[in-house]
Amino acid sequence: MGWRLQRTPSAHRAAALTGRILAILAALACAGIVLAMTGRAPIAMGADFWDTATGSTAGLEDVGLLVTPLILTGIAVALTTRIGLWNIGGEGQFGIGALAAAAVGLHLDGPEPVMLLAMAAAAAVAGALWILVPTIARAYAGVNELITTLLLNFVAALLIAWVATGPWRDRTGGALAATLRVPYEMPPLGEAGHWGLPIAVAVAVVAAAALTFTRFGYETRVAGANPGAAVYAGIPVRARIVAVMLLSGAVAGMAGMIELAGTAHRLQGGISNNYGYLGIMVAVLARGSCLAVLATAALMATLLNAGIILSAQGLNTSAVLAVTGLILFFTAIGDELAHYKLVRRPAPTG
Amino acid sequence: MSAPALARTERVETGAEVVPETGGRSDLPPGTPPLVALQGITKTFPGIVANDGVDLDVMPGEIHALLGENGAGKSTLMNVLTGIYRQDAGRIILDGYARDLSSPQAAIAAGIGMVHQHFKLVPAFTVAENVHLGWEETPWRASASVLEARTRALAERFSLKVRPDARVGDLSAGEQQRVEILRVLARAARILILDEPTAVLTPQEAQDLFRALRAFRANGNAVIFISHKLDEVIAIADRISVLRGGRKIATREAAGATERGLAALMVGHEITLRKVRPRRPGLPVSPEPVVAMEGISALDDRGLPALHDISLRLHGGEILGIAGVAGNGQRELSQVVTGMRPITAGVIRIDGRLAKPGDAAGFAGRGIGHIPEDRLRAGLAPSLSITDNAVLREYGGPPVGGFGLFRPWAAGRLARAIAAAAEVAVPSFEMPARNLSGGNQQRLVARRETRIAERVLVAAYPSRGLDVGAIETLLALIARLRDEGKAVLLFSEELSELIELSDRIAVLFNGRIMGTLPTAEADVETLGLMMGGQRQDRSGRAP
Ligand SMILES: Nc1ncnc2c1ncn2[C@@H]1O[C@H](COP(=O)(O)OP(=O)(O)OP(=O)(O)O)[C@@H](O)[C@H]1O
Ligand SMILES: [Mg+2]
Repeated sequence: MGWRLQRTPSAHRAAALTGRILAILAALACAGIVLAMTGRAPIAMGADFWDTATGSTAGLEDVGLLVTPLILTGIAVALTTRIGLWNIGGEGQFGIGALAAAAVGLHLDGPEPVMLLAMAAAAAVAGALWILVPTIARAYAGVNELITTLLLNFVAALLIAWVATGPWRDRTGGALAATLRVPYEMPPLGEAGHWGLPIAVAVAVVAAAALTFTRFGYETRVAGANPGAAVYAGIPVRARIVAVMLLSGAVAGMAGMIELAGTAHRLQGGISNNYGYLGIMVAVLARGSCLAVLATAALMATLLNAGIILSAQGLNTSAVLAVTGLILFFTAIGDELAHYKLVRRPAPTG
Repeated sequence: MSAPALARTERVETGAEVVPETGGRSDLPPGTPPLVALQGITKTFPGIVANDGVDLDVMPGEIHALLGENGAGKSTLMNVLTGIYRQDAGRIILDGYARDLSSPQAAIAAGIGMVHQHFKLVPAFTVAENVHLGWEETPWRASASVLEARTRALAERFSLKVRPDARVGDLSAGEQQRVEILRVLARAARILILDEPTAVLTPQEAQDLFRALRAFRANGNAVIFISHKLDEVIAIADRISVLRGGRKIATREAAGATERGLAALMVGHEITLRKVRPRRPGLPVSPEPVVAMEGISALDDRGLPALHDISLRLHGGEILGIAGVAGNGQRELSQVVTGMRPITAGVIRIDGRLAKPGDAAGFAGRGIGHIPEDRLRAGLAPSLSITDNAVLREYGGPPVGGFGLFRPWAAGRLARAIAAAAEVAVPSFEMPARNLSGGNQQRLVARRETRIAERVLVAAYPSRGLDVGAIETLLALIARLRDEGKAVLLFSEELSELIELSDRIAVLFNGRIMGTLPTAEADVETLGLMMGGQRQDRSGRAP
C-alpha cells in the first residue's frame, strides 16, 4: 500500500487552476525570500502595499491604468493562440499604434471626439500593418511567426526612439526626450482613471463572445485545432490566419493609442513599457481564454502597481518583472504537474 | 533478478484462478504462469465504465484475440496494460509477479509493446531514426549510416522487411506498421499488442503481418490482437476473448469458433449477418451523370503526379466502386471529387455545371458528402468537443448558423441528433472527440456525411474500425442512399464488399483507370489482374 504519482493524458480543469494559483504563490514566496535575504521585511512590505493599493480609490485607479493596456495586449495574444499561433510582437504593435495616434494627434486638428476616433483608427491600422509581413509570411510561406513578430519589436522601438528624440521632439520644454503633449485625451473616469478601462473590458467581452457565438469564431477554432479538418470542411485557413493575426495587431495597436491618449500623453521611447511582453504572460496564464484575460491582467497589474508603490522603499521596478518571470516559470511547472495525480496503489485483492 | 527498477514487483500467491489451463497448449508444462494475467481490471471515465472487472490470461506462445463492439473497452484495457492509463481497481500480473506499470516506459521495460491503431511515427524522419527514437540503447553521437546498419540487423533478426533509409512519410501503411512493430520488438518485447492492425493493410500486407506474428509466437512470446474482422481472428488466433460493455463475456478456443457465434457473443443476442442489399428491381439510374470527370490529372502532397487522365461518370441511383491496391491514387481521387485537391488538367461537372476544383466548401454546398480515408487527419478535429465536430458540415446554415452566427445550443441539439442516429453513447458532448473510441469516431463521421450527401456520397473505406453490426448498418445506409437516387463513389480494399454493393467497379492502378466493369461481369480474378495493371474495359456504362 502506498501512494504514487500517475501521469494522465490531459490535465484536469480543477488541477490546472490549482496549479496556477500555487504557481503564483510560489513565485511570491520566492520573491519574499530574496527580499528577506537582502535585509528587507517582505511581510511588512506586502501589508504596506496592500494598504496603499486597495485602501483608497486612488490606489485602485492606479491599478486600472495599468490593467487597461494589459487586457488589450493579452487579448491580442489570446486571439492568435485560438488559431494555433503566437503574436510575440504585441510590444512593437503597441508602440507603433501609439506612434500613429501621436502622428494624427499632433499634426491634425479637429473636435476632440472625432480626433480620438481618428487616432484610434490610425493606431489599429498601424498595429495591423506592423504584423502584416509576419502574417503573409506565415499564411503563404509557412514562416514561423514567433521570430518575425519578435524581431519587428526592435524595429518599432528604434523607430519610436528616433521620432521622439528627433523630428517630433518637444523643443519647447527642455530636456524631455519625448514629443509635445498630444492635445486630445481620453475622457476621464473617476479621479485619475479614464475611459480606456471600460473600452478594454468591452473589447475582451466582445472578443470572447465573437469566438463563441460567431461563425468566424468557430472556423478559427477548427482551423487552429486541425488545419486538415478545416480544409476538408472548406474553411479558408489562410484567410482566417490573416484575419486573426491582423485583428491581433489592431488590438495591440489600439492599446498603444489608449495608453498615449489616456496615460502618457506624449510619445516617448519607453511608452510600451513591456506591456506587449506582459500580454503574452497574461494570455498564457489565462490559457487563451478571453474572459480569463480580465482576471490575469488584473493580477499582473496589481503586481506592477506593487512594484511602483514599493519603489518608494528602494525596490527596483525590475524586481517586479523578475517576479512576473517567476510566475510564468512556476506556471509552466504547475501546468506539467497538473497532468499528474496522486493515486493509491491498488490493494492486493487475492 | 532482472525486473526493471521502475516496476515494483511482488510475488503473488498464485491461486487456482491464476494458473489456468494452459490455453489449450499441451506443450506447456503444467503450472506455467500466464505471461500476462489481468485480474479484475476496472477503469472508469467520467460518465462511463470503460472496463468493469476484466480478467484476462495470455499464455506464452499464444496469439490472443480481443473482440468487442465499438466502445466495448478493448483499447482502454490495452492502454491500462501498457501503462498509459491507470486502472481504478484490479492488478496486472506478469510471469506470476504483480507489476505496477505506471508509465509506458515501465511497460516497455517489462517487455510489453503496443502498436496503436494510429501510428505514432515521425513522418519526416527515416525508418532508422524512428526505430532509434527515444531508445536507451541508441548509441550516443550515432551517424545515419550507423543507425541504418543497426536497423538493417534488427530487421533481419525479426525478418521484417523495411528500408532503413526511407522517409517514413513516403511509406505505405503496411510498411509503416512494420516499422512500428520493429520499434517494439527491438526493445525486447515479449508481449506484442496490436490494435486493429489490419484495418489499413492490403490483403497481401495482412498475410505478411500474420507470418511475422506466427514467427514471434514460435519463440514463446505472446500477441494480443484486436480486430473487427472475425474471419481473420479465427484464422490467426489461438484463443479469443470477447468484451461487451466493458465486461469480459467469454474466452473461447479459436478452433471451432464461428463468425456467427462470435458476433452473437459480442452483441449479446443472435444477429443475422444479412449480406445482400440488392437493387430494388426497376430502380432507375439518372440518364445524365451527377458527377462527370473528364481527363483529370492531379498531384499528390509531395507535388508528384498522382492521377493521370481520369474520366469517370457517376450517375444518380448507382454505386460506383473503386478497387485497387492502396496508394494507387485513391486518396487523391477521393479528394479531387470532393473539392479538397486542386487539379492540373481536366474538368469536373456536377449536375452538368462546371465545378471549381479545390473549393471544398463549394462541393459540399452542392450536396457532396465525404467520409474521408483518414478521419483523425481530415474528418475530425480531435481536440475540439464532440459538438464542434458533429456540426462541421452544417454550421454554415440554420439552425446552427446564419447571419454569421454560431449558436452553441443549436449545435448541441444537432450533435445529439447525429450521435443518436449513429448509435454512439456520449457521456458529455463537451468532451474532446479524441476520447471517443475509434469506431465511434468513424460512426459519427459517417452519419454526419450521409446527412449532407444530397446528391453524392464519396465514401473512402467507410467501414474501417467499425464492428460487424455497425458495418451492416452503414452498408445498409449506403444502399438506401442509392435507392433514393443519390450517387455513391465507394472506395474499398475489400473486393467482396465492392462486389456485393457496387453496380459498377472501376480499377485504379498507378493513378490511371484500368477500366470499368459492370459488377455482374467482375470476378475477383479479373479485378486482380486489373489491379496489377492490366487494362480491361467492357462498356463501363451505367447499368
Ligand atoms: N480518455 C477518455 N475519456 C473519456 N472517455 C473515454 C476515454 N477513452 C475511452 N473512453 C470511453 O471508454 C469507452 C471504451 O472505449 P475504447 O476506446 O476502449 O473502445 P474500443 O473497444 O477500443 O472500441 P473501438 O472498437 O471503437 O475501437 C468508450 O465509450 C469511450 O468513449
Ligand atoms: Mg479501439
